[in-house]
Amino acid sequence: MELAWYALLGLFFAVYLVLGGYDYGVGLLLARGGGPDRRRAALTAVGPFFLGNEVWLVAAAGILFGAFPTLEGELLSGFYPVVAAALAGVVAVAVGVQLRSRPADGRARAAWDRVVVAGSLLAALGWGGLLAGLLQGVPLTAAGHVAGLGHVVTPFVAAAGIAMVALVTVHGATFLTLRLPAADAAPLARTARRLVAVALAAVALATVAGGLSDRVRAAAQRPLFAVLLPFVLFAALLVARAALARRRPGVAFAATSAALALPVALVGAALWPHVLVSTVDPAASLSVAGAAASGPTLALLGWLTVPLLPALLGFQAMCWWVFRGRTDGRAPVYW
Amino acid sequence: MDPLLLARLQFATTTSLHFLFVAVTLGLVTLLVGLQTAWVLTGNPAYERLTRFWGQLYVINYALGIATGIVMEFQFGLNWSGLSRYVGNVFGAPLAIETLVAFFLESTFLGMWIFGWHRLRRGVHLALLWGVALTAYASAFWVMVANSWLQHPVGYEVRDGVAHLTDFGALLTNPTLGMAFGHVVAAALLTGGMLMAAVSAWHLIRHTADFTLFRTSLRIGLVTAALAVSLVVGFGFAQFGPVGQVQPTKFGGGADQGALVAEWTARFGPGDYAPPVLADVGLGFMIMIGMLLGCVWLLLPLLWRDWIIRLRVPLWITLLALPLPFAAVLLGWIAREVGRQPWVVYGLLPTGQAVSPVGPGVMLASLIGFTLLLGALAVANGMLFARYAARGAADPALGRPPAPAPEPARPMSVLA
Repeated sequence: MELAWYALLGLFFAVYLVLGGYDYGVGLLLARGGGPDRRRAALTAVGPFFLGNEVWLVAAAGILFGAFPTLEGELLSGFYPVVAAALAGVVAVAVGVQLRSRPADGRARAAWDRVVVAGSLLAALGWGGLLAGLLQGVPLTAAGHVAGLGHVVTPFVAAAGIAMVALVTVHGATFLTLRLPAADAAPLARTARRLVAVALAAVALATVAGGLSDRVRAAAQRPLFAVLLPFVLFAALLVARAALARRRPGVAFAATSAALALPVALVGAALWPHVLVSTVDPAASLSVAGAAASGPTLALLGWLTVPLLPALLGFQAMCWWVFRGRTDGRAPVYW
Repeated sequence: MDPLLLARLQFATTTSLHFLFVAVTLGLVTLLVGLQTAWVLTGNPAYERLTRFWGQLYVINYALGIATGIVMEFQFGLNWSGLSRYVGNVFGAPLAIETLVAFFLESTFLGMWIFGWHRLRRGVHLALLWGVALTAYASAFWVMVANSWLQHPVGYEVRDGVAHLTDFGALLTNPTLGMAFGHVVAAALLTGGMLMAAVSAWHLIRHTADFTLFRTSLRIGLVTAALAVSLVVGFGFAQFGPVGQVQPTKFGGGADQGALVAEWTARFGPGDYAPPVLADVGLGFMIMIGMLLGCVWLLLPLLWRDWIIRLRVPLWITLLALPLPFAAVLLGWIAREVGRQPWVVYGLLPTGQAVSPVGPGVMLASLIGFTLLLGALAVANGMLFARYAARGAADPALGRPPAPAPEPARPMSVLA
């Protein structure tokens, strides 16, 4: 039961990183210049999916609160600065994208676009840092509280934040290669390929930083996954690079999507059966079962929400289907 | 500084902002459903124009509702980890249901509605708006279920120092839920109706274009506001009975209060168990504003032969009354939430025990940072809302037909 909910929590957060990830990637790519038309075209490509992407984060947080209340409190307050930064970024992107085209003035729009760029950067740094923070364990005391916040200031957290920025940027560029009119997609595919190299370097750096960290080595309950999954991540990025070169943006997008979902799987698998590994008192580590809500709550949530999951996925799929394909002159423009 | 005070200030700021925006969201979406349904049923293009104009304002407003809502959701874990620890088994469930069953679909539907003009069949497009509205109401319901549990915890038992769910049905029949939900929904309708009437009045005062369009929305707004204000007052007074029974200290008085305080003193030690006077002040001013807004009924006879427009003074009154529903919404929230103090869960968990064990520096930085961020975004949002409201219904970007294909590149400014 707890495992099913843990998997569902992981699924929602991973899908959020995949879908929200290309929002942030596109957001970061607004900084590359090229004039207002190009920025508007990029936002039009995201257009109909934008509101449906961030809901995965809200739903993941809902599952966290409902099914893992103890984890919710300790995770969010124990990583306060990292979560607050990600949250500020999420808010800035949510509002910036929705409002940037409402002023008619070009300078006001450019200012909103800078809000979106900054927000995308913060969100990617924050979520990357949070995943790394989980992987290196937390100073969880026997009283069940995370003591202090100094534990988040490590080279590994910084490297993982930067790696996440690189990953979402590649992912965003690949998404635009898939969505923009064919004529605009070709130069973007080249940009995306160059970005893959940057992402490979950033992920390699984060992997090395993690491997060198005593805390990560001590916290990993199943080191095999912690070693193996980064290589799957490298492979996904290489597949994306090859697919971009062969003009197969769909395959490339699937590969970068996998690259964004993999870190969540890595953290979940490497720490299992724990979710918060204590660096100060091994007995204080919080297991998935210990973090979960009690039986009646999980049963209630299961009965009320699981039958609705097909509807949630179905309406999301409807959105993807209705607005599938490349944007053209007749694509609806609103953001 | 005291982290508890800082955390409470942050919650108050975020909640107040959130409530202002979601009241408009809930009120306007109801009116939009009426407008678009009328358009699809009658085929009258006037209703299409009304839907696009008010729909665009609704969408602008929606942005801040989401932003403040996300911060609210995460704040429970960031600042109030004790709440999750002791009562998360019960309190978390309705919030989880809200995100999965309601908000998730609401936003997904809205994205398709915004971009679905001229692409989806009319019936499907209308169904999406109905979906947005129904899930918005479901969202309000589940949030109120969670909030009512904080007011009057039911359906749980405490084992090993942690609350466990025993009877979910009790959460749904909570005496502090039913009337309060009706009150909140009616308040949102009142806010939406007054907003629609006031914006229309501004256009009619200024003799802008589209007289007929704003005449129609003035009438819809005023009638909605009048009906809603009666419901607000009805549901409001209906709450005194149950609240007096289960929360005797909230608005004071009664023999139960002394007995309850004695019981708390025995269980939790001596302390000040009276809520701050702010709760009573909020209640008093809210009732006063409610009575004042009841006067909207006096404007209805003036709709006959457009006397309301010809006399002009009633238009000014409608416009100047716009801040009132917003003030009342905030005051009502203050009465309910401050009246719960010093408890986060009434009679079960003192507020001081729910705050996260993080340092005052972090809490202060968070308070300042998020208040500045959300405050700046809210002000920018309000200014854009006002500008779009003033611009009128000539070609809103929402629902604009796509440009004919081979046209030469148009300057971007045309795309508003």
